[in-house]
Amino acid sequence: MKISRRRAIAGLAASSVFVSGSSFGQEKEIKVALIAPLSGPWARTGQLMKIGADMAIEDINKQGGVNINGGMKMRLVSADAGDSVERAKNAAQRFISQETDVVAGTGAWLSSFTIAVTEVTERAKLPWLTLSYADGITNRGFKYITQTNAISSVQAAAAMPDIVKLAEKATGQKPKTVAIISDSTATPQAFIDPLRKGGFEQLGIKIVSDQIYTPPLADAASIVQNLRALRPRPDFLLFYSTNIPDATLVLQKLHEFGMPQTKLPMIAPGAVHMGGPEMLKNVTPQMLEGTILVLANWTSKKQVSILPELEKRSGEPWITSDIISTYGDMYLIKDAIERCQSLDREKIMDALRNTNLKNGAADYYLGGNLSFDDAGRRIGAPTVFVQWRDGKPQTVSPESDAFMAPLWPRD
Amino acid sequence: MKKNVVKSHLIILTGFISVFFVSMLFINNQYYQLMMTLVLIWSVMGISWNIICGYTGLASFGHAAFFGIGAYTVALGLLNWGITPWVGIILGSMIGSIMAFLIGWPTFRLKGQYFSLAMLAYPLAILHVFEWLRYQEVALPMIRDNPSAYMQFEDNRVYTAIGLVFFAIAMIVAIKIETSRFGLSLQAIKQNEIAARTAGVNVLYWKLKAISISGALAGMIGGFYATIILIVTPQSAFGMMTSAQALIVTLFGGIGAAWGPVIGSAILIPLSETLHAEFGEYLPGISGIVFGLAIIIIILVAPEGIYWKVYDYFHKKSKFDKPLRNGSEEFTPTYINQKIDEFGTSPIILNVKNLTKRFGGISAVQGLSFSIPKGTIVGVIGPNGAGKTTLFNLFNMIYKPDLGSIKFDGQELVGMPTHNITRLGIGRTFQVVRVFNRMTAVKNVVVGAFCVTDDDVQAEKMARDAIELVGLKHLSDEVVSTFSSLELRLLEIARAIASKPKLILLDETLAGLGLNETEQVLQVIAKLRDNGITIVIIEHTMKAMMRLVDRFIVLDHGVVLLEGRPDEVINDPRMIEAYLGQKWSMSRAQN
Amino acid sequence: MELSIEAQVLLETIVQALVNGISVGCLYGLMCLGLGLIFGIMRVINFAQGDFMMLGMYAAFYAFGGFSLSKILGQSIGPIVAALVAGPVIYTFGILMHRILISRVSGLSAATMENDGHNAQLILTLGIGLVLQNTGHIIFGSSPVSIRSPLSTTAWEIVIIRDQVSVIVNQARLISGLIAVAIAAVLSWFIFHSIIGKSARAAANNITASIYMGIDVDRCHRIFFGLGAGVTAIAGGLLALYYPFQPYVGMEFIIVMYTGVVLGGLGSIAGAFWGGLIIGIIQQMSTLILPNQLQNTATFFVFLLIIFFRPNGIFGKTTERA
Repeated sequence: MKISRRRAIAGLAASSVFVSGSSFGQEKEIKVALIAPLSGPWARTGQLMKIGADMAIEDINKQGGVNINGGMKMRLVSADAGDSVERAKNAAQRFISQETDVVAGTGAWLSSFTIAVTEVTERAKLPWLTLSYADGITNRGFKYITQTNAISSVQAAAAMPDIVKLAEKATGQKPKTVAIISDSTATPQAFIDPLRKGGFEQLGIKIVSDQIYTPPLADAASIVQNLRALRPRPDFLLFYSTNIPDATLVLQKLHEFGMPQTKLPMIAPGAVHMGGPEMLKNVTPQMLEGTILVLANWTSKKQVSILPELEKRSGEPWITSDIISTYGDMYLIKDAIERCQSLDREKIMDALRNTNLKNGAADYYLGGNLSFDDAGRRIGAPTVFVQWRDGKPQTVSPESDAFMAPLWPRD
Repeated sequence: MKKNVVKSHLIILTGFISVFFVSMLFINNQYYQLMMTLVLIWSVMGISWNIICGYTGLASFGHAAFFGIGAYTVALGLLNWGITPWVGIILGSMIGSIMAFLIGWPTFRLKGQYFSLAMLAYPLAILHVFEWLRYQEVALPMIRDNPSAYMQFEDNRVYTAIGLVFFAIAMIVAIKIETSRFGLSLQAIKQNEIAARTAGVNVLYWKLKAISISGALAGMIGGFYATIILIVTPQSAFGMMTSAQALIVTLFGGIGAAWGPVIGSAILIPLSETLHAEFGEYLPGISGIVFGLAIIIIILVAPEGIYWKVYDYFHKKSKFDKPLRNGSEEFTPTYINQKIDEFGTSPIILNVKNLTKRFGGISAVQGLSFSIPKGTIVGVIGPNGAGKTTLFNLFNMIYKPDLGSIKFDGQELVGMPTHNITRLGIGRTFQVVRVFNRMTAVKNVVVGAFCVTDDDVQAEKMARDAIELVGLKHLSDEVVSTFSSLELRLLEIARAIASKPKLILLDETLAGLGLNETEQVLQVIAKLRDNGITIVIIEHTMKAMMRLVDRFIVLDHGVVLLEGRPDEVINDPRMIEAYLGQKWSMSRAQN
Repeated sequence: MELSIEAQVLLETIVQALVNGISVGCLYGLMCLGLGLIFGIMRVINFAQGDFMMLGMYAAFYAFGGFSLSKILGQSIGPIVAALVAGPVIYTFGILMHRILISRVSGLSAATMENDGHNAQLILTLGIGLVLQNTGHIIFGSSPVSIRSPLSTTAWEIVIIRDQVSVIVNQARLISGLIAVAIAAVLSWFIFHSIIGKSARAAANNITASIYMGIDVDRCHRIFFGLGAGVTAIAGGLLALYYPFQPYVGMEFIIVMYTGVVLGGLGSIAGAFWGGLIIGIIQQMSTLILPNQLQNTATFFVFLLIIFFRPNGIFGKTTERA
């Protein structure tokens, strides 16, 4: 991004005023909101989102801030969505009422929290971003929401043909049977329902086992035993969990019952948690090796120049999708503001909806192109395959972002 | 007098609502408006809990069941059938009430802790069913055409105003219950359910009524909650924390008091939210710690809640505060007119035939047969474990006999519910006297009269008559916490005779009383008999009984050992053997 | 005996479900035993029991890792010892809790309180739970962790009918289950035969009579409370071998614990253990007939059945007197 000399001096002057601490004018900073679970059972993900947001804002400000009014800094205000929808709604309402100069925001990870929050932000006409992929978020006809990831049903339709191609290339045959294990919450079922209702059939695949459990799982033995009882063994396993303990229990049991990935390839959609470093605190890398996670976003080889530094600053062994997506959200907001050259919420929302980027903020969302439809849904959202290889989750698809080629686990 | 209490409650309520309403108008901050609405919502939830638990003494950890069903009714109603929440909330309230009734009916059979545990299980079971039905995230659709017809408003204050209406409804219900016989009956049940039954309280009826009202309020406010949060999840509707919240605000604010829940809610909801808001960003978790500490400290300092702590501070008098009363005078024993010789001449009022009750392998009473004539005093004596209290419990049908019959005034009692027996005319006192500590004597006694009259004015008159009869007239309107042990005994008798029974059962009324006090009670009992009441009394104090009773019935090991005139029975060797053992009776015989 | 494929599968599935149920159930049983001491016998409502277990899990975790038990005793014995170490640590914590807080709303103090102090106990322990969870969050962080040991991922295959039917038994679960049973047995013996145990049972049963017998009721209650906390903590430590946990994990098990204690019968120590065991079995075996999601509903259903038709539970005693 070229900065003209005049602008640079103006920016310097503005930031020196900022640095000197004297206050004149109210809009010296652009406030952006983050609502995420920072305490309670989902605190870990909220923490990661905050790390991403903090780092992005640091970087943005270091690079001169947002290019408006001579260069303005961004500031993050965050609120804890806690452990209930009531708490999340309160946080959203507080931002609307008290932080009146917030221009946009992102959050709240859990789809139920996000729905509660956006009911508030929509009525306040506050532009909102979310990385959630629940269908229910953008099918309410809301105007002030942008979903940066593909929704579950779309992900399913896009991902499965690629899985089939991958398997065919590796084994020489198309897979014919699949076993499904999923938890009963909304997002997994939104992914799997279209597959049940003909999606798999169209691909020539038969569902030989379809188990739904209510989280949290106390013990995965009965579920895996049902798989063990299947003869012949299915060609692959579709496993949709939403938390680490459930995923750990199933992984452990699969290994114990003699069905590691090499015998039963595991495809895990929506398994953001399965890509996190804390998985290694609970299972060995060998147990994860070869698992293919179907996600909506992850790190890309295009980001390879900034990744090591981000990893160091975040304090995490590698950057996960929560971090990179929220990082990208900050850049996307910055970009929208710069395009409409205004801090007015309506204009920013318009700019967000009209986003059509191939780089810049788009660098942080896989897929090459960042644009949204009328309902705020991502157009052409890619499905991302992240595979555990040698103890680390690596993007293996789409090819333009992949660090390495995908492998279909085999004996 | 009662009218004043209701009036003062209503005045305070009107005042509170007005202040709330006016301040709401001035508050432009939507966040504070939301807080105000949530305070009202949780107050109503707390009131709902208070009705069945605070007043009735049951511990229910499952009110989320009714709350949640109300929430889902509104949410699904709007989403699937376009039913406006204005109607949906009423539907939710009705469904909540019906559900509460259906749950209450079988569950009330369970005692104490089993009841609470069952109540705990219901909402959690329902939670899993709703998850299985795929109702994980039911969002209320945003209506852009004519939103107010669907309870969707831009100005949050309209929600607060609606909340105030629900709050007013709930408070009026609570106040009405608290100040009427409904409340007193519930309190009696809370004190001692069995004693309440014997005082004529139809326990099941009141409990079902209480839980149905409770369910209606919870369902109503749950439906309203759905219109506020705009998304209903099984966890937020039926989760443990929802039930816990109702409990916490009520216990904190004042359990069993109409104002308790709103006090607790007004303090705790903003406190918790402020902590979260201030610290959530920097030190997540600290708000939970502070909140946890807050409720720990309060529960240690004021275990019944803030309301009662403050109330007691202003009202409580200790036993030593009161002016000296006649209890200190020497009571000269006066002659008690016994009917020893005329015993058989009056018609039989109570006829016991072959009464047998077994517990497991042990016969508590076996083949008891005797009859009691009207207007006499019969003493039931015998060593410990002889079956005396069991006998009384059989009279009241607290236990059902395995064999035998009990005829009262010609009517068979076996199989009749306890409260109906009281209505027929049998009163009962208990050994351990439990009273409503913060209430007056009249309030304590009037419960006994409810079973024979629907008119509250008449009930109060009957209560006052009873109090006068036992000699406590001067203390009728005194708070019972100042009463001496003797006065409490007499109060217990007063409650038993408030319904003007034909027969009363006195269970160890003289236990632990000194000579003077015993004398006073004996006079009262004699007076009762003179008023035409038949008396059956269990007692150990022999000397007093000798002067009082017309006949003794001696029980030993569950059977009638002997029956007869006081002077005969006392010298009978079998009696001595029963009490003191063979050695004694033999040595006596030798002498 | 040659079985058809369907019969093999069916038999294997049933036996496997039973084995799974028993191994999970033994741990539940130990958890419930801890609560049984506190709630079943002392009738003290403790909603922080799950959080005591959480503390036990972290105690075991740090004993294994931080205190290098893993290095000293190896990957297989280390975790077991670590779990056992959690016991005395949380026992002491429980004693402290009782002395400072719980004793004020239970035992002697509770006789004059509303509803025998139960309401106060509920709120107090809810508050304690909140404090423990959030302090844990601040100190331990929010990432789920567990004790990693080869025990959790290896299993023995037990052959029932050669080449046709076999069951797989996870090592960690089997060993945990056996240890749980052992501890339950030792504890039961202790409570029934030692002087402290007998005094404590008397004190729990009838406070007034015990005082007249010269029993230090307060001390007995405290010891039982500490034991209850410690035992559940050991169960947690054993659970930590294969269950990833974070500071809010207690909430997931509190219902299981209460259900188990009631099922087994309030007032019976052995009953509490059996109650937990039965819940484990129901949970696993109900999946044979019901969809997995209704597993928990099945548990509640059985719970309600027991409460209604056999409120004393399976082993409880009738102690209610009019």
